[in-house]
Amino acid sequence: MKLVRPLFILTILLSLAAGLFAFQFGGFRRQQYYYGGANVPSEFYWSRLQYTSSYANGGFRGYSQSWARDFPKADNDCLIVLRRLTRINSPSPLNVVDLNSDHIFDYPWIYAVDVNTWTFTDEEAKRLHDYLYKGGFLMVDDFHGTDDWEHFMAGMRQVIPDRPVEDLQDADEIYHVFYNIDEKFQIPSEVYVNTGRTYEKDGYVPKWRAIRNEHGRIMVAICANMHLGDAWEWADSPEYPEKFSGLAFRIVLNYITYAMTH
Amino acid sequence: MFEFFFKYPRAVYERGHFALLGAWPHWVLAVMIVGAGAVLAWMIRSRLNEAAPVMRSWRAWVIWGMQTLLAALVLVLLWQPAITVAELRRQQNIIAVLVDDSRSMAIADEGGTRQAQAVKTLENGVLDSINKSFQTHLYRIDSGAARIGSLKELQAGAPSTRLGDSLKQLSEETSDLPIGAIVLCTDGADNSGGIDAEVISALRARHIPVHTVGFGREHAEHDVELDDAVIAPRTLADSRLAAKVTLHQYGYSGTAINIAVRDVSSGQPKVLATRTINLGANGNIQTETLMFNIGGAGAKTLQISAGPLAGEQNTANNTLTRVVNAGSDARRILYVEGEPRWEYKFIREAEEDDRMVQIVSMDRTSPNKIYRQGIADPKELADGFPSRPEDLFAYQGLILGSVEAAYFTPGQQQLIRDFVDRRGGGLLLLGGQYALADGGWNASAIVDVLPTILPTQPGTFHREADPRNGTTHATAELETAGVDSTITRLVDDPKANSARWKTLPYLMDYEDPGTPKPGASVLADMITPEGRKLHLLITQNFGRGRSAIMATGGSWRWQMSSPLGDTAHHLFWQQLLRWVVSDTPGHVVASVPAQVLLDNGAVNLAAEVRDQQYNPAPDAKVEAHILGPSGVSALVEMTPVPDNPGHFQAVWSAAKTGAYLTEVTAQRADPSTGTVKELGRDVLTFQRMDGVAENFHTEQNRELLERLATATGGQYWKPSELGKLVSRIPYSEAGVTMRETRDLWNLPIVFVVLFFLRFSEWWLRRKWGIV
Repeated sequence: MKLVRPLFILTILLSLAAGLFAFQFGGFRRQQYYYGGANVPSEFYWSRLQYTSSYANGGFRGYSQSWARDFPKADNDCLIVLRRLTRINSPSPLNVVDLNSDHIFDYPWIYAVDVNTWTFTDEEAKRLHDYLYKGGFLMVDDFHGTDDWEHFMAGMRQVIPDRPVEDLQDADEIYHVFYNIDEKFQIPSEVYVNTGRTYEKDGYVPKWRAIRNEHGRIMVAICANMHLGDAWEWADSPEYPEKFSGLAFRIVLNYITYAMTH
Repeated sequence: MFEFFFKYPRAVYERGHFALLGAWPHWVLAVMIVGAGAVLAWMIRSRLNEAAPVMRSWRAWVIWGMQTLLAALVLVLLWQPAITVAELRRQQNIIAVLVDDSRSMAIADEGGTRQAQAVKTLENGVLDSINKSFQTHLYRIDSGAARIGSLKELQAGAPSTRLGDSLKQLSEETSDLPIGAIVLCTDGADNSGGIDAEVISALRARHIPVHTVGFGREHAEHDVELDDAVIAPRTLADSRLAAKVTLHQYGYSGTAINIAVRDVSSGQPKVLATRTINLGANGNIQTETLMFNIGGAGAKTLQISAGPLAGEQNTANNTLTRVVNAGSDARRILYVEGEPRWEYKFIREAEEDDRMVQIVSMDRTSPNKIYRQGIADPKELADGFPSRPEDLFAYQGLILGSVEAAYFTPGQQQLIRDFVDRRGGGLLLLGGQYALADGGWNASAIVDVLPTILPTQPGTFHREADPRNGTTHATAELETAGVDSTITRLVDDPKANSARWKTLPYLMDYEDPGTPKPGASVLADMITPEGRKLHLLITQNFGRGRSAIMATGGSWRWQMSSPLGDTAHHLFWQQLLRWVVSDTPGHVVASVPAQVLLDNGAVNLAAEVRDQQYNPAPDAKVEAHILGPSGVSALVEMTPVPDNPGHFQAVWSAAKTGAYLTEVTAQRADPSTGTVKELGRDVLTFQRMDGVAENFHTEQNRELLERLATATGGQYWKPSELGKLVSRIPYSEAGVTMRETRDLWNLPIVFVVLFFLRFSEWWLRRKWGIV
């Protein structure tokens, strides 16, 4: 029993040392993040939607929850590409938009992931509904298979009960607004590196879908059965195929340009 | 009384010239007056020491003044003062007596109709008195002048009064007659908008005085009258228009009245706008603005009406008619944006609901990519911003967003200037990081076109520092000129409109647009986070076109941060962009001076014709095809206006009442091929209405009659004073005259003054105790 206290302290110290080493030399080493820090006035803010996950009891929506998957590296890589390849003014750090706040209306573009877990209060559903109909654009990503789709749509129908979901065609303007994207394929998560599988669960076929308003403007761009976030996040990994990251970057630049022109 | 003291009528002194008939030079008189004054002064001064003490003060000089005056008067009489005056020769001149025979003279004011009063006054000795010395010619006047044999021929039933035209006609028809004076009996209710200078000049050239005799009340006891309604005569279909209605009233001060605009083009009148207002003070001109949507394309006949109120004496002057031509051709705006940004998206979205305005846009999405939207075919804008006039001038409006001046070649910048100046297009510049001064536009070829003098230094653009931090907001508010503007009107009531603007969400960014130029209108301002007031929306006309600056790229928050369904953002941008393109002319612009012809069918058609590059086309063949009521159809060739290249004119008469549609076409032969090519065409509408004009301005227009009399050397008379007219008429320089010289030395007033001076001196001496 005399050794319990020293062993406990030693364990804590070793854990802290390992954590510090991992932080300094781990997967994110020498990466500069446009995350946190002072705001820089921008035309475009890369904004990720913060929502409550269905498995988060009591409404917990911290940074370990579903909405924050791949954050901040995926978003960060995207912002770098956006600044490099477009004339969109976007010097601000990454931005997180809480669906609980009316400040969502300050950012007409938002990105959401793992949306099969999202849940909304009536107030949140109305806020997102108004946001979309007033001109906002929502891109959703990273959910797979039949069950995920059903859960995603349960939330979506709470927001937009009456607009159909449609499959986007290759000729649709959103695939030609910045790059001409004539060929699309399933973009897998980083699981592909070890398994060679491009799908997860029963989401064998990628679904490029959208919900439009009454004028035909896309309000919600849906990337189902794929994971663009991982393709951005692992774009600098030698094991992750470039073709997936390349398409993922082209897709998101087109979606952003579309949101800013339609 | 005047003639008792002055011997001759007042007119002799008003029209005559003073003269001294004495043989000695006038300077001798002046020297003698001065000499007399000096001698008197010396005599008084030399004896002042011997005088009573009371006189050794200012009193001595009062006495000197009176004695000097007396001496001067006597000296003037020695020089034989006289007055020379032109006088009509008896029985050799004609006095034209004109009596208004329009319907307004049938109004009964005080004891009979106005015309009955005029006839009674003339027959009650006035005509007889004139006839003793002159010949009298009687005329009835309405839209012209016609001689009558007797006053019994008058009927007071003519539908209009045109005093100017009547006097002009009389002057022309009597050019070889010795007209000594004109006596005009009327209420002055002229329907032509006044008497023009040409008529006055013609009368003055012949020295004919017009004596005006005013009949009728100068204002009604209980009446509301619409004075005017100003509405743009042409617009785009579905446009929001403003009707500026001016009215005045008597007897209803503070009373609420309903004013309305109705579309009466079809069998079923449709109310377009209505508003209740409180009437102002008696006789005050009151201006009210009604906003309305003109509806679909076509020629629209609008009725603007007020009331009627209980007890109104004349309800026929409560309604005005206006004609508006709503065009059906959609207007195209070229929008050049230098970067993807939210303002671009939301402006485009606002215009989606406006089928009459199409935005064709080019957006620099990357340094080497341009994204085009709204293009008619793949070739449109494929080479970027147009470099040829015919390509750029195909648009009616141009928006320059956040794009640097250096993006355009000097030739393209000059083309933008010509787009406004020569083509007549509308130019709108937005704020942005590459816009206005920050985009180098302060040193571009279009600085003259801009409504402001841009700041000389960059760094004028500022973004919202942190949207989540509520301390750095820039907000908008209206200027006075914006309260009634069709661009900035979000709600109809002006006060509510001002308040509405203050409730708009804050702007995401702002830019200092500089100082407005003289003639520019500032419609709205911005209050920056630091509390500075900067101008937000400034407009001006330039050349044939117009320009505006909207000094922000962040008005999109008016859409995103307002409640869902709020129309402020979309309505504002639709109205602003309609202003940009609505008045942009085509290659042919046809016009008429007035679109409603009241009791007069004369139409002066005018057309301005421009070629493909919008240079004047003086060699064009221009025709007007007129379609009117009851199958009226006419093809009128329009002739060039001398010394005004590209302008054509024609005179035509609309004989029947009703609506007329006129299409003006212009053609020109191609010098290279010889083939005739159409340059363009334009459509205009006008309407002839009879029997309406006399319902308006029924009160006596004394101001007009006084002006006419004064301008011609005549006099305004009340009917009760007309007996004195006879003694005034002979003193005229018109007709056959003789110049008479009349002595003034023997005027009774002279002896009165002489006596007064001597008596006054004696009375003063007595009062001071020295007599």
